[in-house]
Amino acid sequence: MSDIILNVQHLNKSFGSKHVLKDVSFSVERGHIVGLVGPNGAGKSTIMKAVLGLFNYASGQITIDGDAVSPISHQAMDKVGALIEYPGIYPFLTGMQHLKLFSKETTGQDQIDEIVDRMKMTTYIDRKAKTYSLGMKQKLGIALALVNQPKFVILDEPMNGLDPQANKDLRTIILDLAKQGTTFLISSHILSELEKLIDDLVVIDKGQIVYKESMATLESGGKRLLVVKTSDDDKATIILTQNGYQLDQTAGVSIIETDDTKMADVIKLLSDNGIDIEDVQHVHSDLETSLLELLKNDKVKES
Amino acid sequence: MITLVKQETYKLLHKKSTPAVSIALLIIMTAFGVLSKLYPKYWSAKNMFTTMYTGGSWVVLFLIAACSSIIAMEFQYGTIKELLYRKYYRGEILVSKWITMLIYSIYFYALVFVYSLILKVVLYNGNFKLTDTYANNQSIIETQLMNLIGQFLSVWLVLSLVLLLANIFKSTAAAISIGIIGYFALSVVSGLMFVLMQKWDWLKWNPLNMMNLPAQLTSDTYHKMTLLSTPEMICGSLAYTAIFMAISYVVFKRRSV
Repeated sequence: MSDIILNVQHLNKSFGSKHVLKDVSFSVERGHIVGLVGPNGAGKSTIMKAVLGLFNYASGQITIDGDAVSPISHQAMDKVGALIEYPGIYPFLTGMQHLKLFSKETTGQDQIDEIVDRMKMTTYIDRKAKTYSLGMKQKLGIALALVNQPKFVILDEPMNGLDPQANKDLRTIILDLAKQGTTFLISSHILSELEKLIDDLVVIDKGQIVYKESMATLESGGKRLLVVKTSDDDKATIILTQNGYQLDQTAGVSIIETDDTKMADVIKLLSDNGIDIEDVQHVHSDLETSLLELLKNDKVKES
Repeated sequence: MITLVKQETYKLLHKKSTPAVSIALLIIMTAFGVLSKLYPKYWSAKNMFTTMYTGGSWVVLFLIAACSSIIAMEFQYGTIKELLYRKYYRGEILVSKWITMLIYSIYFYALVFVYSLILKVVLYNGNFKLTDTYANNQSIIETQLMNLIGQFLSVWLVLSLVLLLANIFKSTAAAISIGIIGYFALSVVSGLMFVLMQKWDWLKWNPLNMMNLPAQLTSDTYHKMTLLSTPEMICGSLAYTAIFMAISYVVFKRRSV
């Protein structure tokens, strides 16, 4: 059990008569980066807040590193850093004062300086936060989540308002920390960014978990295609079909790749038949496609 | 808990308004000291001293504003989540804010007390002695101290209500206005209240009546109006403060953020 850092079991939560979380169960392995995705209003932030002990929940159990978490049991939070919804910033304090205010006694100035440096905030860290742009506030929020070097970090939409460079920096930091053993639970709508980070995926829709698998499983589940553009697509299609290749009907000449599909064979076959190849592309379904497919199936019934 | 109080104090001290308010208080007190020196017809020197050169009234305003903002600002800036998802218990977070405000109120009353002594020495050194009898067989300094203690207790009754309202409405505006109206409403409605109390005796236990404590402490006839003895009034004030604080505590603990 020790390789599980977060364990959520049968979590139920209602706001008034609206049942927002329905029997949610999932776990997060130590050192993994887990993506939590789902449509707006699916319950992502609600799950994160419950995990942070901000909510009372009707039933269920949440443990972090073996310690139960609820609004009245907060000891486990010592190991947790988080950024939820939007960063909470005091306009009258500077960025540095924020970091000092929220750092533990065991967190030294060198640790604070390191995170400021890595987030590239040195030029404005001593300015009052009321002068910060949205992106600067977001970076400060992330720095606050990371400053105490927590074992487990929860980030809700961390890429909000970040420029492309900051996005890349953040990705590097997250991957580095994960390598050193920090666990991340990240929600984001920017799936192309998320895809570059996460090991595991948890998909939530209408308050229910609809999918939880590793990224490797998700990727292997999708079709991989070899798309060729030729001088004579119709002829190419016929020849390929005759030679036992399976074609995908969606667009152009798309060969469904199997383990023994070899690009060289395809090229040779076509050129032997006098067809010129103009372009070849490998296409595999990305997170976005897989996710939209998943949510379209709509396994979840509204209740 | 000490860490939390330190953090709250850190935030309080880094607000621009905090030093500004203290400086403003000293300027206002000086102004009233000088005015009463220049126009003794309108303001008696002794009366000015016992009421701390109006310092006491201003402190009430500043404390109401500070108490409502120490709670409501966390909701306004969205920092309440950051405060709560740490290892500390919710109750500790709230109590650390109360302690910070208690320290702040003690600081304010110490400031007005010491500064009123300084003003007295500078402006009226020869005019009167602190040990002169003022009224009610109390010396001037005793009257001032009684005023101070009475104000402190009745102000905390109002502050506990302000802390509760800021907690419920998550906004400074509502808490400040009700706090100020509540505190200053007394002078408006006390006449009517005293009449009604003659008719229905139990009304004497209403919270507004408790706020007559400073007046009662410096007068030997006021208890005939308030219908309560001084110890009863002190206990009543403390009880109301405790009740409002307890409701605050429950509201804060049950809140979803």
